Amino acid sequence: MVNKLLMFLAYVAFFVLALMYFTPKTSLYYMLEKELKQYDVIISDEKVTDNGFSLSIDDATVYVKNIDTAILKELDIKLFAFYNAISLKDITLSDVTASFIPVKIKSVDLMYSIIDPLNLKIDAEGAFGTASGSLSISERKLHLDVVPSKIMHSKYKNTMRQLKKQKDGGYSYDKAF
Amino acid sequence: MGGIAMTKLSNSALLKIFTKLLILLLIAKGISLFVLWYLPSDGIEVTKKENYQPRYQKVDFKTMLIPPKSDLELNADGTPVNSSGKATSITNMTLKGLYGNKTSGFVIVALKSDAKKTTIVAVGEKYSGFKLKSIMIDHAIFTKGSKEYKLELEKMKDMNNYVKKINNEPVVYATESGVSREDIAYYSKNPKQLWKDISIKPVKNGKKIEGFRVARIDPMSKMARLGLEKGDLIIKANNIELKTYKDALDIYKKIDTIDTVQIVVIRNNQEKELVYEIH
Repeated sequence: MVNKLLMFLAYVAFFVLALMYFTPKTSLYYMLEKELKQYDVIISDEKVTDNGFSLSIDDATVYVKNIDTAILKELDIKLFAFYNAISLKDITLSDVTASFIPVKIKSVDLMYSIIDPLNLKIDAEGAFGTASGSLSISERKLHLDVVPSKIMHSKYKNTMRQLKKQKDGGYSYDKAF
Repeated sequence: MGGIAMTKLSNSALLKIFTKLLILLLIAKGISLFVLWYLPSDGIEVTKKENYQPRYQKVDFKTMLIPPKSDLELNADGTPVNSSGKATSITNMTLKGLYGNKTSGFVIVALKSDAKKTTIVAVGEKYSGFKLKSIMIDHAIFTKGSKEYKLELEKMKDMNNYVKKINNEPVVYATESGVSREDIAYYSKNPKQLWKDISIKPVKNGKKIEGFRVARIDPMSKMARLGLEKGDLIIKANNIELKTYKDALDIYKKIDTIDTVQIVVIRNNQEKELVYEIH
C-alpha cells in the first residue's frame, strides 16, 4: 500500500516536472508583458531564453509610461508551482530617479512558496543599502526593513524622510496598495 | 521459447513504469501545446518614435512686425549691412515661407546651394545683398540697387496650406524671460520643492494626452516668475507636442544641453508662447 502511494507521488512529481519543462515559458512571458502593458509598463529590447525549467531575460529596458525607467542586465524566472522565484540582477535606474535614490541596484529577489502562500518574500541589495521584507497578498501591504547605506544618509535625506525609524535604530518602509 | 520471452518482457514492471511515464510525458506535452495555442506568439516592444525637433531659433518679433524707421540697411541679425557685401543672384535663392504684409513681416529664405540652412529675414533687412522690401500673398519683393526682384514661394500648394493654418490659429503672443541654471539645479536637487511650487496634471481626451494643465502654482515661487499661471495648458515645448510623459521628460533630460526653452500654453483659449533663455 505504502509502495503504491509512493509510486503515485513519484508519478505526480514526474508529471509536474514534465509539465514545467514543456510549458511554453516564453509565450507565458509574452502574456505577462501584455498584462503589464495595461499598467503602462513595457519590458523592451530584451533577449528571452527558455532554459527548460527557468526563463532568462537579458539586457532589458523597462519603460513606465513610455519613459525608460530602468535597465535590467539579468532577469531569471523560475516557476515550479510549489516554489517560484524572480531574480533581477544588475539594475540601473534612469537618471530621472537619481535625485530620489542611487541608480545602481545589485539584485532584487522575489520568492513565492506554497509553504507561505499569502506572502511574497522580497530581498534587495544595492548602492542604497539592503532591504528585505514581504508583500502581503491578503492585506495588500508592502513591508520592507531597510538598512540604508552611508550615501543615503548624506545625499538622499528627502528619501530617508519617507522611511520610518525603528526603536532598534533600523528603518522600515510600509505601503498599502 | 520465443513466446515465453515475449510474455516475460510484456509483464516486466520496468516496461509498465516506462509506458506510464511515456504517457505522462505525452499528456504534459499535449497540455503545453494546448496552452501554447491560446498564448501570444510575440512580446511587446517600445516603438521609438522619432520626434521632430528643429533647432529653436530666437526671433525678435519687435523688429519684424514694426517697419524700420531709419533707412539703415540691416542684416538678419540686426547688424548694419556692409555695402560691399557678397552679391548673390536672386535665382540662387529659394523662398520657403512668409508671414506679413507690404510694410512688415518676415520671410524664410535659403540659398539653393544649402537649402537646409534657412534664415528668417524681416522687412527692411538684407540677405545676400538683397533687401526685403515687401511681402505679398505668394511672393516677396527684394531690392538691390534701384532694381526690384520678385522671389516666389517654393511650392504654391504648400503655401496655401500654410496660409490656411495661419488664419485658423488664434493670435500668438510671445513673452521672453530668463532662467538661470542655478534655478534648474535647485529644482533637480529639491524635486519636492518643485512639486510644492507647482502642480501639473495631464489633460486627457480619452487615452490621449492633450497637454499638461498647471493645476496650482505658488505666486511667490521661481516657477511663477517664469510667466506660468494657474489654468495654463502646456501643449508644446521646444516645438515638441507634449502627448506623452516621455515628451515632457525628454525636455527635462536635455535641459543641461539646451540654452533656450520655448513653451506654448493655452491661456483663455488663446495660444501664448513663453520663451526662456537659460543662462
